[in-house]
Parts: sequence; structure tokens; C-alpha cells
Amino acid sequence: MSSATSINALTRGAGLVTATRLLVARQLRYMLRQPVWLASGLMTPLLYLALFSPLLSGLGGALAGTPGYAGGSVIDGFMPGLLVLFAFGTGMGAGWTVIGELNSGVIERFRVSPVSRLAILLGTTVKDAVMFIVPAIIVVAVAAVFGFDVHPAGLLLTFVLLAGLAAAISTFSAAVGLKMKVIGSLAAVITGLQLPLTLLSGVLLPMSLGPKWLSVLAHINPMYYATDAARHLCAGQLDVTAWLGFGVVAAVLALALWWGTRVYSRAVA
Amino acid sequence: MSSQDWAIEARGLTKTFPGRGKGASPIVAVDHIDLSVAPRTVFGLLGPNGAGKTTTFRMLTTLLPLDSGQATVAGFDLKTQAARVRERIGLVGQLGGADLDATGHENLVLAGRLYGLTATQAQRRADELQEVFDLTGLGNRIARTFSGGQRRRLEIALGMVQQPAVLFLDEPTTGLDPQNRANLWDQLRALRQRGVTVVLTTHYLDEADALADELAIMDQGRVIAHGSPSELKADRGAASLDEVFLTLTGRELRDGGNAVDPQDEGGVA
Repeated sequence: MSSATSINALTRGAGLVTATRLLVARQLRYMLRQPVWLASGLMTPLLYLALFSPLLSGLGGALAGTPGYAGGSVIDGFMPGLLVLFAFGTGMGAGWTVIGELNSGVIERFRVSPVSRLAILLGTTVKDAVMFIVPAIIVVAVAAVFGFDVHPAGLLLTFVLLAGLAAAISTFSAAVGLKMKVIGSLAAVITGLQLPLTLLSGVLLPMSLGPKWLSVLAHINPMYYATDAARHLCAGQLDVTAWLGFGVVAAVLALALWWGTRVYSRAVA
Repeated sequence: MSSQDWAIEARGLTKTFPGRGKGASPIVAVDHIDLSVAPRTVFGLLGPNGAGKTTTFRMLTTLLPLDSGQATVAGFDLKTQAARVRERIGLVGQLGGADLDATGHENLVLAGRLYGLTATQAQRRADELQEVFDLTGLGNRIARTFSGGQRRRLEIALGMVQQPAVLFLDEPTTGLDPQNRANLWDQLRALRQRGVTVVLTTHYLDEADALADELAIMDQGRVIAHGSPSELKADRGAASLDEVFLTLTGRELRDGGNAVDPQDEGGVA
């Protein structure tokens, strides 16, 4: 006769790594079923590449001090910034997905299970890192056709750096989504932050082109360091700037994961 | 019964939420309630909308921390052994919890794996549950395409994957047509036969009368009566639970879940 406490005491629930793997697979499976995201996700960077970057050749000497621009064509200096922009764009959508999961009760069900709260969060985070890398490879391939000349190891490190950035943005967006619970409020926060963060990071044009005060302001923006580091890495320079970029992204990611896990521990619809 | 034998034993459960708007006083959603649920029974938490039933559920299923009080669920303490509680309970929340973008089979297999089953075990468990809950033909269809009744059966199946000792269902028949409702009642009775302790909230008096072995009637955050449906009626010389509720609160509990003062109606000439 079974006791009140358990009919059949199963195992203790999947561990952190297994649970994360399962939850990431769940998110990726959803993405693969709707490949339209690939096309629309690629539109922005490809359009910037085709229609904006040619404008930069007109700036010539003004860009000389910036790695990438100095040596080769404008595309070499522009691409890293574009990849940062893309990483941000990929990550920021997480909040919308998470609100959907909150409203359907999926998050509630996962939270009642013994699965780690961090694993639930990482399902979205890791999926967004992957969703950055795969299209980014395509964008780089297209850029290469148009003359993008990049240091191969540097490019690899840039991908690691920016996957980390995408993960951090995704985690932050997911946490904000869970706190706001309503798409309108989430949108206000995320799109409100989007423009200042991207404008103050030098993704399109290096911050050095502007006045001193603008440059100073950029220094409080973590994305500024990521952009700088990406430019240096792509130009083959593993220097202080590159390391600083890794440090900042790692710190922001750690902070986001810590906060995100707390939010997931308390989230109710 | 000793504390080990109750499926749920709760004393003094309290939850307060901050008031909305400026200077609004805090809302006491659950006000020092006591609950004792015997194993292998169907226990109903009956009350109008806003009575605090869902908040009580959220505390008992580890989703919300208790402001005060204590509880043992499935033999483990809510505050200090939450992880063990999660291994032994299931929740079918008001929002359902099914992943609408996955197939029925995928939903069930993922749930099994998250609770620690191997891939093979999870597949087998999924097949088993599909049979028990009459979902066999739907295994490969995306859950979004399910009818209301099918979706509810999937949600209950998801709550049962881990063979919980206690299954919580929050308003399980809301929105179902009479046929599906009757089927669901049978499913719940069958679960009780198999040794599961079934705890449900409802605002339907007929459901409470038909299903529950024991009831706790909640109103405005308090348990105002408890006992079996027949005891509750006999104690007050009432023919139906409608009368019981009216006697206790002076209000009528309508099908929409709202408790209405009968004086307010028909008085308008």
C-alpha cells in the first residue's frame, strides 16, 4: 500500500546540465519549425552592409585611427560593429518569448518541477547565443564575398565574445519580461534602452569621430567595450582592448544570470 | 493521523500583497488558514473569485513563499524541503501549462526527462499517459491544434508524468463543455482510485458536491467552513451547497465565480 508521501519515488529530477540541454533543445526545435526567423533576422545586417557601409568610404581619413578601417576597405572596420548590433538585436527578443511562456503556464509548470531555475533561464539564454552565431556566420560569409578581410582566429574570438553579449542581453530581456509580465511595459523598457545603448557604443561609426563628452558617455556603456574589442580582434589584435571587452561582457553576463535566476525563482503570472 | 500521514498539513498560511496605488493598504490574500488533506482523497477548495484559492495553491506548490505559517506537503516541509516537495507533486494551473508549440508526445517526453527519466523511460511513460488520457491519436499533432477538452487532458497528463503523490488542479473544468467536464470528473475519480491525492480549487458548487470527499470553503482569504459535502449540509440543515454558502456568507456563488448579494438583484424595479 503506498504512503501519502509518494506512490513511486522517481529520481531527483534532471541535473543542471541535462535540464539545460533539454530546454535549449526545446527552444531550438521551435525555431527550426519556423525558419522565417532566419530570413527576417538576416535582413537588418545585410541591408546595413549593402546600403550603409558604402557611405563610410566617404569619411576616409577621419576613420584612419580605428582598427579595421585603417588597413583595408571600410567593410573591415564596419563589420565588427554590425555584428555587435546583430548580437544585441538577437538577444533583446527574449522577453517577448518569455512573456508568452508565462501566459501559457509553461514557466509555472517548470517552476513546480525540481528543475533548477538557472536551467530554465539558460534554455532561453543559450538558444539566443546559438541564434546569434548561426546567422552571423552567414552574414560574415556574405561580407567576405564583398571583400571583408578578417583575422581568422580574431573572428573566432569575436564570435565567442559576441555570443556572450547576446546571451547577456537575452538574459536581461527575459528577466525584464518576467518582471513586467505585460508586453507593453517590456517594450517600453527594452526599446527605450536600445537606442541609447547602440548609439553610444560606436557600432555604426567609431565614437572617436565625435566630441569628447560623447566619448566619455560611451565609456559607461558595456556595449562600447564589446564593440571596441570586436574591432581589435577582427583586425588581429589580441590586446588590452580585447581583454577589456571580454572582461566587461563576462561581468555583465554573470550579473544578468544572477539577477535572472532570482527573477525566475519568484515569477508568477 | 500523525503529520507523516497527511498528504497536506498546513497551519496559519498567510500571504499579503502590497496594495495598488498610492497609500493603498496591503491586501491580505490568504489569512492564517489551516488545511488538512487526507491521502488518497479528493479535496476541494471551494470559493468565489478572489477568495485566495490560487494564492493558497501557489504557496502549497512552492511557487510563492509563505509570509507566515507552515505546511507539510507530500511529507516534506514547504520551507526547508521545497526541492523534495517538488519531486512529489504535480500542478495543473489555471493557465494550463502545455507547451502549445510542441506536439503532445514532445510535451510528455520532455516532462518525463525533466523529472529525471531516461529517454527510453520517458518515451514509454509518454505512451502510457497518452493511453490513459485518451490522447493516443494526438501524439504527433501540435498542441495548439487540440480542442479544449484534449488540451485539458494533456495538461493533466503532464501533471501526472512524475507519478505525484499529490496532484493540484486549479479550476480544472472552467471553460469545458458538459461532456468534457463529466469526463474530467471521471478521470479525477480514477486518479483517486490509483492512490493519488487530488486537490482542486473550484467555484462550481455542483463540482464540489459531486467530486470532493472533503471541502474547505474559502471566502476573502479565510477558510469559513470545512468538512465533507454531506456534513456541511447536515450541519446547517441545508439541502445543497448553495444554501450552505448563502448561510455562511450571505451571498450566492454564481457560475461565473462571483459571489453576489441576492439583495442587490431584483431590487431594481
